[in-house]
Amino acid sequence: MSTDPLALAESLEMTAAAPLAKALIGRRGQPLVLDASDVRRLGGQCLQVLLSAQAAWAADGADFQVCSPSPEFLDGLALMGATRLCLPAEASISPVQD
Amino acid sequence: MDALAAIRETFFQECEEQLAELESGLLAMEGGDQDPETINAVFRAVHSIKGGAGAFSLEALIRFAHVFETALDEMRSGRLAVGAEVLKTMLRAADVLADLVRAAHSGSEDEHPSQAALSEELKAMSGGAHDESEAGEDDWGDFEFKPMTVDMDPAAEAPGTSGFVIRFKPRADLYAKANEAALLLRELARIGQVAVELDASGLPALADLDPEAAYLAWTVTLTGEADEAAIREVFEWVDGDCELEIMPLGGSESSADGFDLAALMARVSDDGPARVSDPAADIDVGSLIAALSPDAEVPAVAVAPEIVDAPAKPALSVVSSAPEPAADAQGAAHMRKTEAGATIRVDLDRVDRLIDLVGELVINQAVLSQRVMEAGLARASAVAMGLDELEQLTREIQDSVMAIRAQPVKSVFQRMPRLVREVAAMTGKPVRLVTEGEGTEVDKTVIERLADPLTHMIRNAIDHGLESPEKRAAAGKPAEGVVRLAAFHRSGRIVIEVSDDGGGINRERVKGIATEKGLISAEAALSDEEIDNLIFMPGFSTAAEVSDISGRGVGMDVVRRSIQALGGRITIASRPGQGSTFTMSLPLTLAVLDGMVVSAHGQTLVAPITAIVETLQPKAEDVHSLGGHARVISIRGGFVPLIDVGMALGYRREPLEATQGVALLIESEGGARAALLVDAIQGQRQVVIKSLEANYRQVPGVAAATILGDGRVALILDIDTIVSVSRGDMRKAS
Repeated sequence: MSTDPLALAESLEMTAAAPLAKALIGRRGQPLVLDASDVRRLGGQCLQVLLSAQAAWAADGADFQVCSPSPEFLDGLALMGATRLCLPAEASISPVQD
Repeated sequence: MDALAAIRETFFQECEEQLAELESGLLAMEGGDQDPETINAVFRAVHSIKGGAGAFSLEALIRFAHVFETALDEMRSGRLAVGAEVLKTMLRAADVLADLVRAAHSGSEDEHPSQAALSEELKAMSGGAHDESEAGEDDWGDFEFKPMTVDMDPAAEAPGTSGFVIRFKPRADLYAKANEAALLLRELARIGQVAVELDASGLPALADLDPEAAYLAWTVTLTGEADEAAIREVFEWVDGDCELEIMPLGGSESSADGFDLAALMARVSDDGPARVSDPAADIDVGSLIAALSPDAEVPAVAVAPEIVDAPAKPALSVVSSAPEPAADAQGAAHMRKTEAGATIRVDLDRVDRLIDLVGELVINQAVLSQRVMEAGLARASAVAMGLDELEQLTREIQDSVMAIRAQPVKSVFQRMPRLVREVAAMTGKPVRLVTEGEGTEVDKTVIERLADPLTHMIRNAIDHGLESPEKRAAAGKPAEGVVRLAAFHRSGRIVIEVSDDGGGINRERVKGIATEKGLISAEAALSDEEIDNLIFMPGFSTAAEVSDISGRGVGMDVVRRSIQALGGRITIASRPGQGSTFTMSLPLTLAVLDGMVVSAHGQTLVAPITAIVETLQPKAEDVHSLGGHARVISIRGGFVPLIDVGMALGYRREPLEATQGVALLIESEGGARAALLVDAIQGQRQVVIKSLEANYRQVPGVAAATILGDGRVALILDIDTIVSVSRGDMRKAS
């Protein structure tokens, strides 16, 4: 089981959503660490992919973590009211519960 | 500049405003102001800086602002008494905060040297109020209900007037058309304070998710001055590509039930938002509010439902430093008060471009007038009358455009209290700064270029002007020296005075030094005023040793030059034992000038009206030659030098016969008078100043240029230089 961090692209805008979803689905069933250190922009569609993935990993009972988030990434999350994406797995709330 | 950088820039601009607000509030409190609104304003200033710093993760700034804010909150709640010592510390804290903001602006993340010590002082002041829960050990365990007083002031709490709830759900088309939900939310955050709640309930399982569809929705509570139109503008381009509902925040019915809850929330957050370490508990409160009273006024909080603790991931403090609801409820009340004076931010370049264009318009209008005259149309003709109206209109436009650039001198005056504190500390002299006329308006360029000379003069006033406390006591003066900074308008110019109640200029010493340095000859007989003005001479510095404060190798001559470069004059008046007053007289704008258009040896020149005292036709018997080309003219019993402008500028070699020309009696800085001899006076008009230095190079005796109605370039005379050069020639002659 690989836990190599999955490095998120610098620009998580519209065009990045499909590749991101694909990459995440490919990692399903393994603990996941997302490296958000390079992210400069975060858009709504990538956010929904990430949130859905977080819920999926929670449902699987597998670890889902975001490591070294860049300030821009955190800023994007805060802006869209989604800082829970960065919470440790056990504390995170499944978005579906909202 | 990308969007984020632009927002960051705006944040720092706003910081400057907040810092000014903070300092003026603290100074007002120091002066005895006990209005709770002043304390609130001070608190809000620090609070807003902290909030903004949070969004950009400026750690050093956040940490210090947090400690500062806590101390201010103690003061606001009356637990910390407002005393002189406390305010001194607060003022120093304001200085450190200002430094941290500027450091952050220039990209530095370093702590301020005084930050740690001052933080400790502030913490000590606020007693146990500092939760260290930023470290996150706290949770809701020690949460208890405390008796509390609730401010029932309807003006402060009236719901429904200060914000909107915006429900926004993008459709896939919105993204497909290259729009971005995140940018729209950012725009909202730009026009007000936002609390963003994400609704991800429509989100399908990952396997079923179409990455290009849209599932998320947001509820944004926006408070601040933005109106519905401003919000609609944000969504202008995505109209039809999203579901959008905009509702005024709160309703009158919510005040009864919603009020306590809001107050409770405020109370909870007042105890430290960072304490909320259990996100589940936090979200419970959020949903509780939603369940109990969907329309209740939820005070503006940047991402309030997302409050989490910082320690596990320090970068998340971006969230924990979100503004507290209590403060913003009051902030909103304050904003309603100031709504009347609504302002917009405009790029300075645009204003300058407008001013340039209006300048061109003025010139063009003058050209047109001239052409009409040349065409021989009667003054009463419809065309000429129409032109007169146009001229009036042009003037009005010009005045209005100039008014856009006009700013109160407050922006530069308010930098001075800090300077005074610092210099007072360095010299060990207790000083009180008194400012007057802060609301006096002057062109922004003038204001910006005033800061340096003013700084220098105030340093000088404290360092050289004021005596030591012992000397003051011996002279029967209060130990605390007073430096006064005043601004007012006088005959179309702005006058700024810097005065001190020190010992005045020691004329013996000034003369001694000037003689020693070879600036004047030992036997020169000088009037008191002339001696005082010696301190403006290049190479003059009275400080026996170069001090850290004022002796930086630049003297008052630099001050004078910078004032002159602004088209201003500086004079000094000093009374032994009672102090000195420096008076600067500056033009209100650097863009236009009222000038007397004259001719000298066929050249058209413009003399600034402000320098001209009167004009006269010299009589042969009044003009006396001193040998060479130097002449004086007798005016009402006194003699003033008669300067031939044509010769001074090198247009002719032989002087004009005085009786064939017209003399302009002018007064240069320092009050020295002279008569300028020109061939004729053409008239008086307002001219648009065009920099000669920027377009050609500096020419001695010429201040700038302008374009006249006939399209020709005319030079604007630099009266002071012409007078001082001629005075040198006259000395040689005599």
